[in-house]
Amino acid sequence: MFVYEKKLQYPVKISKPNPKLASIVISQYGGPDGELGASLRYLSQRFSMPYPELKGLLTDIGTEELGHLEMVGAIVHQLTRDLTEEQQKAGGFASYFVDHTAGVYPQFASGTPWTAATMQVKGDPMTDLVEDMAAEQKARTTYDNILRLSDDPDVNDVIKFLRAREVVHFQRFGEAVQKLREKLNEKNVYYMNPAIDR
Amino acid sequence: MEVRMQPMVRQRETEEKDDGRFGILPARAPLANPYVPFQRNNPPTYPAKKGVVRGTLFPGLDLPFMGMVNEAPLPETHLHELQTLGFALVELGEYLDTHPDDAEAFEMFRSYADLYKKGRAEYEKLHGPLTQGGAANAESYTWLQDPWPWDFAANTQMRKED
Repeated sequence: MFVYEKKLQYPVKISKPNPKLASIVISQYGGPDGELGASLRYLSQRFSMPYPELKGLLTDIGTEELGHLEMVGAIVHQLTRDLTEEQQKAGGFASYFVDHTAGVYPQFASGTPWTAATMQVKGDPMTDLVEDMAAEQKARTTYDNILRLSDDPDVNDVIKFLRAREVVHFQRFGEAVQKLREKLNEKNVYYMNPAIDR
Repeated sequence: MEVRMQPMVRQRETEEKDDGRFGILPARAPLANPYVPFQRNNPPTYPAKKGVVRGTLFPGLDLPFMGMVNEAPLPETHLHELQTLGFALVELGEYLDTHPDDAEAFEMFRSYADLYKKGRAEYEKLHGPLTQGGAANAESYTWLQDPWPWDFAANTQMRKED
């Protein structure tokens, strides 16, 4: 089960509201490579993972991603607090505002609602771990792109932290593939699916 | 063959001086499968205060975009101290998930866990419960008190001297 700790993993203190930037950062909340998809992907893949150390890794990284979801939500929330009428109408934010006011809704930067179609649980350990490696790279690129688009030092401070976590998680999933390989047929790692074949 | 051996030898020579940037690949590697070098046991680490702002405890995995890195340490508050210790625990925990036999890393994990436990108790005494269950230790039900973590105020108040 999960127990909530009333603190962020890393501080989010955005001094200046900036709704236009919020409508970009929201993509890491509910976008195609965002933290909601990341946490659900790993926490769902756990169930068909046959090896205890890999169950543990998916649980621990999936749990950390829930903390990142909260942090990205906090960025969007603080970027859209106490908006003036002028800021509500600002280019790039009005279309978000009309649907969600200053609420935090899981959607792509383009406005598409979060969809499970952006992630996969294939039920084959090798396939799932390779998907996870790709997912970490996609999230890393998204954070790179946010750093390109944003000149807010308070936002970028947090984005740099989150981006670094993607690199570390890529490394861990890469190591997980190596651990998995040790358990599979040395000559043909695709001989069977260890989630269902014994 | 000679051409292929050359870079590997050069890599090994630099390994002694590097900051953990090079890892280990399997000697016999089945084809058609992805390979990420395994991080070596007992890798170099940053102090937790530096690691938390860099987003990793491991210099070898500190690969920033266009040189953009957080240089300034977090301000000295009880909250940030706890976040720093909690971060070290998460990072070392994930490392131990793939390196369960690294005794030095486990020792470090234990000492951060000990500091976290103490920091947490001190934080809760001064600033209120971190978990709903923790509210039982207070005189009254203080769980609901503002600020909540996503509020700007939660991240700026609570300096050590307050």
